[in-house]
Amino acid sequence: MSGLPKFLVQRLAAMVVILLVLTAIIFALQKISHANPVHGYLGANASKAAIAKESAILGYNKPVSDQYLHYVEGLFHGNLGRSLRTRRAVTTDLRAYLPATIELTVVALAEALVLGAALGLASVGRWRGSSALRVVMFSGASTPAFLLALLGVLILNGDLHWLPASGDTGVQNAPTGPTGIIVLDSLLHTDYATMWDGIVHLILPAFCVAIGPAVSIGRVLRGSLHSAMRSDFVRTARSKGLVERTILFRHAMRNSLSAALSMTGLQIGLMFAGVVVVETVFAWPGIGLYTDQSIPVADFPAIAGVTLVLGVFYVVINAVVDILQAVIDPRVTLE
Amino acid sequence: MAVAEAFVPSSPQRRGMAKVTSARKVFTGATKVDRFGLILLALLVVVAILAPLVAPYNPTVPSGLPFTPPLHGGHLMGTDEVGFDIFSRVLFGLRESLLGVVIVVTSGVVIGGLIGLVAGVAGGWLDAVLMRITDLFLALPAPLLAIAIAAALGPSFAHVLLAVAIVWWPFYARIMRGEVRALAARPHLEAAALAGAGPVRRGVRHLLPGAMPAIIVTASLDVGNLVVTLAGLSFLGLGAPAPAPELGAMSARGLQFLLQEWWVPVMPGIGVFLLALGANMSGDAIADATGLGA
Repeated sequence: MSGLPKFLVQRLAAMVVILLVLTAIIFALQKISHANPVHGYLGANASKAAIAKESAILGYNKPVSDQYLHYVEGLFHGNLGRSLRTRRAVTTDLRAYLPATIELTVVALAEALVLGAALGLASVGRWRGSSALRVVMFSGASTPAFLLALLGVLILNGDLHWLPASGDTGVQNAPTGPTGIIVLDSLLHTDYATMWDGIVHLILPAFCVAIGPAVSIGRVLRGSLHSAMRSDFVRTARSKGLVERTILFRHAMRNSLSAALSMTGLQIGLMFAGVVVVETVFAWPGIGLYTDQSIPVADFPAIAGVTLVLGVFYVVINAVVDILQAVIDPRVTLE
Repeated sequence: MAVAEAFVPSSPQRRGMAKVTSARKVFTGATKVDRFGLILLALLVVVAILAPLVAPYNPTVPSGLPFTPPLHGGHLMGTDEVGFDIFSRVLFGLRESLLGVVIVVTSGVVIGGLIGLVAGVAGGWLDAVLMRITDLFLALPAPLLAIAIAAALGPSFAHVLLAVAIVWWPFYARIMRGEVRALAARPHLEAAALAGAGPVRRGVRHLLPGAMPAIIVTASLDVGNLVVTLAGLSFLGLGAPAPAPELGAMSARGLQFLLQEWWVPVMPGIGVFLLALGANMSGDAIADATGLGA
C-alpha cells in the first residue's frame, strides 16, 4: 500500500490508539477522584454491606485491568456511569444537554472561520488601519471568554436591550424534538417566530466562543499568506499582469488554506473549553452548564462523561481534517 | 558559498538562527504597540510582586460598605458583596496568576525540554517512543483534560496548576526536539563528537544552549494563553475556595450581581485581560527581536 490508502489506514489506526489512551486517562482519573460510583447508585446513606454487595456486582473488587476492560466495554453500550447530582445515567443527561451545545459550537465554528479569514486577509495587506488591526487581534487573543460574555450581557442586553442573554429561547412552549436544537426543531414545525427567537439567542454566546479561535485562525492564515505572497508562483502571477486581488484570492489563498484548516481542527479543543465557560454566563442549557453545575458538587462521573464525549468529537474531527488535507493536497504525509 | 551551505543543512521549521539579543534591544527594536505591551507587563509584574505593600486594603478583610461603586469612598474599583476592596483583591489575584504562569511555564520547559532533549540527542528507538507519547498528548484536547484532571483532584489552586502542567509540556518537547535535531547536523557538533564529547556533554554543553532561544520565544508567546486558561479554570470553580483572591473565581462569584453591580464581576476580568494583553504583546516583541517570530 502506498499513497492515500496507506495514509488513511495509518491515520485511522492512530485515531483508535488516541481514543484508547483518552479512555485510559479518564478511567484513571475516575480511580483517583473520590467519587465512588457505588454511592452514585445507592446514595450516600447506604449501609456497608449494601456497598460491598453492589461493588461486587459492578466488579469493583476485580483487578484494575479487568475493571478498565469492563469500562471500555460499557462505553460501547453507551454506559457512562451515573451522575451523583442528578441521579440519572450520564448518557441520559448528555442526550438532553448535548444538542444545545452542538448548536452553539457549530454556529461559533462558522463565525470563527468567517472572522478568522477576514482577519487573516485584512492583516496581510499594508494599509492605513493595519496596526489598529494588530491591536484588535492582540485584544481578541487576550480576552478571557468569560469577560467577553460578561461585557456582552452588560452592554447588549443590560443597557441597549438589543439581544437576549439567557438560555436558548424565550418562548414558553417551544417545539421539542426531533433534534433537540431549537432552531432546527422550530423550522421543522414551521414555527418561524420561535426559530427567529432561537437565532437571536444564539448571536451573543456564539460570538463569545468564536472570537479566540478566530484570532488564532487569522494569525496562522496571515502567516502563510505572508510567505505565499513572497513565493515564486506569486511573482509569476504578478509578472503575467494579474490584478493583486486575483493573486491574493485565487493563488495565495488556495495555497494557504491547509495550515489554517489544521489550526481550525486544533482550535475546536479550545472552543469546547470556551463553550463551558460561555454557557455558564448565558445559562445556555448545554453540557457546559451541566459541567459547571457538576464541578462544585464533585460529580466526577458527569465531568468524565462530558470530557469523554467532547474528547471523542475532538479526536475524530482532527482525524477527518488530516484525511481531508491528504485528499486535497498530495504533499501531506504522516511523519 | 556553495561549500559553506553544504555544511549547514537547515531544517524547514527554522527561519534562521536566533539573534543574540539584550533586554534593551527588545525594547528599542519593538513597534509602538509592542512597546506599550512591554511597559504594561512590567508595570503589572512590579505591582503584583509588591501587592502586599501597594494594595490599599487587606484583600480578605471587609474595608467598606458592600457594593460601593468604583471611585467612591476610596475604592478605585469599588467593593464587592462582602465589602472587600476589589482593587486590592485584583492586585493579589494578579500575583496568584503570575505565580501560576511561572510555575506552569517552568514545568513545561523543564519536563518538555528534558524529554525533547533526550529524544533529540539519543535518536533511534528512544526518540521514536518519546515522540509517539508526546504526539499522543498533543492529539488530546488539552483544556478539556485539564478541567477533568483538576475536577478529579478536587478544587484547589495547586491542583489546577498540576492539571495544566500535565497537559502543557508536550508542545515544548516538540520544539526542543526539533531544535536539537536541526543543531545536531551543524559542524560544531560534528567537531564536538570528533573531540570525544559523549552524548551527555554534547546535549548539555553544545545542544541545549543553541536550542534555548527558540524555547524562550515559545514560552514568552505562551504566557498570555496561559493567563487566560488559568483564569477560565478558576472561573469554573476549580481553583481555591472563597474568599481567596483569584481573578477567575472572583468574576464567577460576582456573576449574579452583573446587571446591578457590574464592577464586581467585570473588574477581575479586566485584570486578566490586561495581564494577558501585556504578555502577548511582549511575547511578540521578544519573538521579533530574536528573529524567530512568525
